[in-house]
Amino acid sequence: MRLHINFKSGKPVYLQVVDQIKSMAASGALRPGESLPSIRPLAEDLRLNRNTVAKAYAELESLGVIETVPGKGCFLKTNQSPLRKEVRRKLLIEEIDPLIVQAHHLQVPDEEFIELIQDRIEALAEKRKDFA
Amino acid sequence: MSTSVPAIEIEHLQYAYGRAEAVHDMNLRVQSGRCYGLFGRNGAGKTTTMKCLLNLLRPRSGSVRVFGMDPNKQEVEVKRRLAYVPDQVAFYPWMSVRETLDYLASFRANWNRKTEADLIERFRLDPSARADSLSKGQRTQVALIAAVCPETELLILDEPTSGLDPIVRREFIETVIGAYQEGDPGNRTILVSTHLISEFEGLIDEFTIMDAGRNVLTRDADQARDRYQKIRARFAGTPPNLDLSAAMSVRRDGRELELIANGGSADLMKRLEQHHPESLTVEALTLEEIFVAALQP
Repeated sequence: MRLHINFKSGKPVYLQVVDQIKSMAASGALRPGESLPSIRPLAEDLRLNRNTVAKAYAELESLGVIETVPGKGCFLKTNQSPLRKEVRRKLLIEEIDPLIVQAHHLQVPDEEFIELIQDRIEALAEKRKDFA
Repeated sequence: MSTSVPAIEIEHLQYAYGRAEAVHDMNLRVQSGRCYGLFGRNGAGKTTTMKCLLNLLRPRSGSVRVFGMDPNKQEVEVKRRLAYVPDQVAFYPWMSVRETLDYLASFRANWNRKTEADLIERFRLDPSARADSLSKGQRTQVALIAAVCPETELLILDEPTSGLDPIVRREFIETVIGAYQEGDPGNRTILVSTHLISEFEGLIDEFTIMDAGRNVLTRDADQARDRYQKIRARFAGTPPNLDLSAAMSVRRDGRELELIANGGSADLMKRLEQHHPESLTVEALTLEEIFVAALQP
């Protein structure tokens, strides 16, 4: 598992770990049932505080992305989000709105923006095929 | 242990060597379970502050508490619950690594042999090597092993990586800190002083920057990187004259403007955007850059 921490992004470090593992799960770079490195080696590998990685894993677990099997370690969960549909939509809207604002500032017209999203969905689907 | 009592609490600490004031009105609070960085140039007062925590120096005024106790009045109890690695480590030259560790273990109620064996192997130390044949890096490694194995609640490290060559430095401090935290995740507290900040970037939860004996800045590391940002804007012609007084510093270089923001970067970005720059980028400052920015006059 290759993660990359960028201290210049201004994003909390634990969230960078959460988001990268989520996107690896979405792209198929990590498959359901596959094991994740345990906390201490990953922390050492990324030169992070152990507690930061533990916090990221706790967050991923509460989001239903990974599960901890006592004595065995952490695994990517087979079935996804335990959250209700409205909650999931709301979480997604919080991510989408700033993007729309950003697109406006960058003078990207709405149609082009939607097209771009469509492109990215296809690109990720391609990637998933490559891993499968 | 109660979580409400901070591991370390320093209030209005003052210390002077003769007439030379080393620490002036210093305040510091380290919650238990944190990895706390004490940053400062050489001579900023970091070592003096740490020595006051260990009762190696008696404060002129102010108060110092470790686990809520006065290290002067309850010295044994305080020292039983912490381990300290000074900036200069010294061992008996005739002892081997094995004998040195056994000797140090004899002062402790608890000593994790498994952690010891694990770290000796990872650092490729020869247990039969005499202490006076060790390099500076190896001596530091032995001292760190000796600090981790008693599994105390608090670990105080004074410049643990300074003076070591980069090859030795790389990957060993996180190994030590990882081994230490693993024993009781979330409850082990670390106070580490350094002027080599970039090496500790990912390890530090919270930090204090000291300069000339004073606390200049205390922040959570993530919050600091969110707050301190570098904004660069390039314009087609001469940059417009804007009110950028909200920025900590503004540098003009031809068609470019470079701002350091301490909070309020979204607002500064908006102001710059109104003048349609050719490019506008923003990035967080690293802890080392924040350190430099905080110490600039």
